[in-house]
Amino acid sequence: MSEIRQRWRLVFARDEEARYLSHLDAVRLWERAFRRGEIPIAKSEGFNPRPKLVFAAPLQLGMLAERELADIFLAERLAAHDLRHRLEAGMPRGYRVVDLHDVWVGASALAPQLAAADYRMTLCNVEKDDLAAAVAKLKAADTLPRLRRREKRSISYDLRPLLLEAEVRPPDPAAMVPDTIELPPVGLWLRLRHSQNQGSGRVDEVVAALADELGMATRLPPSEDERGVAESAAGPDAGIRAESTRQSSAAGATSEAGFGLERPLLEAIRAVRERLLLAEELETAGSQPSVE
Amino acid sequence: MAATAREETAREETALHGNLRGPHHAPPALPPLTVERLLSRVRKPGRYAGGEWNSVAKEWSEVALKWCFAYPDLYEIGMSNLGLRILYEVLNDRPDVLAERCFAPDVDLAAELRRAQVPLWSLETRRALREFDVIGFSLGFELVANNVLEMLDIGGVGLTTAERGEAEPLVIAGGSIVPNAEPWADFMDAVVLGEGEDAVIEISDLLESLGWHRRVSSPTGEWHRGVDRATVLRALARIPGVYVPSLYRPRYLADGRFDGLDRLDDAAPASIVGRIAADFETRVRGIRQLVPNIGIVFDRAQIEVMRGCTRGCRFCQAGMQSRPLRERTPEVAVAAAEAILRATGYEEIGLTSLSTADYTYVREVATELHRRRPEAVLSLPSTRVDAFTVELVDAIAPGGRRSGFTFAPEAGTQRLRDTINKGVSDEEIASCAQLAFDRGWSSIKLYFMIGLPGETIDDVLGIAAISRRVLEMGHRRHGGRAQVKASISTFVPKVMTPFQWDGQDSTAEIEAKVVALRKALHGKGLTMAWHNPHSSIVEAALGRGDRRLGAVIRRAWQKGARLDAWDEHFDFDLWLAAFADEDLDPAWYAQRDIPIDEHLPWEHLAGVVSMEFLLRDRKRALAAKATVDCHWGPCSDCGVPSATGFACQTGEQGPRQMLVRVGEEGRSFRYVGPPGDARRGLAADEPAASETAADAAAAFGGRG
Repeated sequence: MSEIRQRWRLVFARDEEARYLSHLDAVRLWERAFRRGEIPIAKSEGFNPRPKLVFAAPLQLGMLAERELADIFLAERLAAHDLRHRLEAGMPRGYRVVDLHDVWVGASALAPQLAAADYRMTLCNVEKDDLAAAVAKLKAADTLPRLRRREKRSISYDLRPLLLEAEVRPPDPAAMVPDTIELPPVGLWLRLRHSQNQGSGRVDEVVAALADELGMATRLPPSEDERGVAESAAGPDAGIRAESTRQSSAAGATSEAGFGLERPLLEAIRAVRERLLLAEELETAGSQPSVE
Repeated sequence: MAATAREETAREETALHGNLRGPHHAPPALPPLTVERLLSRVRKPGRYAGGEWNSVAKEWSEVALKWCFAYPDLYEIGMSNLGLRILYEVLNDRPDVLAERCFAPDVDLAAELRRAQVPLWSLETRRALREFDVIGFSLGFELVANNVLEMLDIGGVGLTTAERGEAEPLVIAGGSIVPNAEPWADFMDAVVLGEGEDAVIEISDLLESLGWHRRVSSPTGEWHRGVDRATVLRALARIPGVYVPSLYRPRYLADGRFDGLDRLDDAAPASIVGRIAADFETRVRGIRQLVPNIGIVFDRAQIEVMRGCTRGCRFCQAGMQSRPLRERTPEVAVAAAEAILRATGYEEIGLTSLSTADYTYVREVATELHRRRPEAVLSLPSTRVDAFTVELVDAIAPGGRRSGFTFAPEAGTQRLRDTINKGVSDEEIASCAQLAFDRGWSSIKLYFMIGLPGETIDDVLGIAAISRRVLEMGHRRHGGRAQVKASISTFVPKVMTPFQWDGQDSTAEIEAKVVALRKALHGKGLTMAWHNPHSSIVEAALGRGDRRLGAVIRRAWQKGARLDAWDEHFDFDLWLAAFADEDLDPAWYAQRDIPIDEHLPWEHLAGVVSMEFLLRDRKRALAAKATVDCHWGPCSDCGVPSATGFACQTGEQGPRQMLVRVGEEGRSFRYVGPPGDARRGLAADEPAASETAADAAAAFGGRG
């Protein structure tokens, strides 16, 4: 391992141009960006040394983001403006540097400090009051037993402790709503647990739970590198996408029309991860989201 | 006299300048919402999203001529293609031209596009294919045929030259399989033979000077181009290396055999010779190579160190048609490699050619590159089965991970290897494998073909014998860890090779050989991978076909043939039905021995090696006589100098076919290795093995 002389916490945003990257794709792209910017990044130990670039949390394919976190370990000291300049010179399209903080080299690792993440999205085909009622039901429940598919197994889990906050809001003005949709769009804001040892919630799982409450179907976001699978809406795991990046499904191309006839589709568009919260931030933040 | 010439030049300049004055045609892009909704439903949406590093999205109203490179296979294959990376840069370097990209949609997106009635779009600015001035298809494999039709159809472009309206784009093809462009004749307005770097510039100049990019409105609200299609096609036919199929008409004998072509126009030359890029040795194009956002088959930078090959393997179309051999000096190669690494951020760079171990300066380049960029990983494809290759790889990657070494003996016995001019003995294969095992590799992959001309059952069983022998050596060195993977494909006769007259084995013969080989080749540590023999039949039929196959391709597409290059999509019965509908027999095309005095449908697309040489070399093949590589041995009189204007240099080791040009006009064939084998790489759960079909690859340096 090369000696670490400096550690920076990068705050970055991801826009539409980069939204279809899986986490693995994104990591590879960032590594290339560091080479293009000739950034003296430290290397990990081992037979196949990797650049010391640590992301707080993987960002799901299809998700936009406003304040993602990553730690950059440098083998040579750089001034903030120099690092920023080099980053911007080689950064993958669709990513933006929001901020750079100097972090003590010996500070504890980033990912274990993570406690929660805030999301906003816009939902279509649902009345605002109906959605609010469904949200209230989820929040009022003591437990929300659900199934999550991993590889070919289904794992049962409780969604309730992962759902820290949920709130109906005005729709995201940036969300593009198809004119085929009659009802006005509704905004949904979520704070989900994001913890290495207590589990993490996923936006699409919450949407699926809401859809079940509403008697609606969901369409899944494109998975990491397989199909955006449309599972049958009938099963208890309707709409839960596997976390696995390598699951193939017989469902093939989505057949929205197929099951849409039976149940209307609760469609989530423009999902944005607003911020990641470390444990200490979560304590001070309470339930209030950061105001834009 | 001089005044007239000057006046003429001035007039031409005015015409050109007038034609290039903007603002230019700029139809609206597809709405972001439309794209977003479609992409939310398909797998791997990153294939269709664009925005890659080094991609170029120009403002349409400021650019005269718009090209779209349409690669008729999935993104992961197309983005690996070096030719695309090169031509993309060549055209986008011109301020008056733009080049965007489009790849074949996977079946899920194709279905969504049809359902939503949205046209296939270019990645850069999301315009429908029909909005472009020129669509350039890169044809590297016969079985991409239905992808071409699918892309044109969903892109809103007429499928055939005859059906295309005046406003529609020009559809042009190039690539490694166009030495026989006849099966594609219906669909292509023009075909570029040979290397594309200079041809695309000349075509662009011509189209701009004629006004092909100009949109002229008529009072009815419709529009047409600044020049009519027929004029453009006749003008294109005058560019060296450009073949315009619609200016010719084939004749057939009563029994169905091809009887020659009639020229329908004075502009149509009697024969067309492929292009050679003017300054390959000294100038490297394709520096700012496209860097994909998602993983692709050959996910690395590429520096082409050499073009052409003089090994003379008799089954190899690329080797025969990419001559003359041209090598880049170590200074040029190293400087370019560094520039490419810097411009892309890639961690790995391939030193590519048809056989990089044959590159004179391979050691110098690898050593110097390693000195300058110690962290970069090098890889190289090689067709050679010899100690040099193993030593080379070992020297360049000391301590690297040794997952697998690949050799391509191609045939099971020395006699048959002599027949195909892959002159390597059993002993050499064994000692080469031993060396690889000794240097730390525990797994060896061997490429073979079955059905080669003159093959007997002994040759087939020889594949098993040599595989077992190699495995035993591995066992002695590495115990149970040792592995041999034999990859077996079916021989496909390729046009413009000494085997172009030889038919494929019948299906029954191939199946019998497969059964025999399966029986002889199994056991712990031995694995076999088969290439689907049925797709090889269609490949051979299309490869040696005439223009009547255009109708077959169309039928197959209408019946639903999609992504045929992928085994999971290929449907042989559907192709058989398509042939039957047109009263044609695939076996007649694929399996027939063609008499040498018969007219060949591709004979007007003159290869760089002469027909006399091919016939002479075929005779030597039948006598199992080698033709020595003129890199080291005597001149084999292949005819390249007279066809191309290159003169071969006599070096210290004997005649050496390279570098010396006669006159200004350089000409040759091909710009990049066929991607057929890339698919093997993608299908397998290991890194792609090879840059060029049936080449052994040596990838090294810790990537595993």
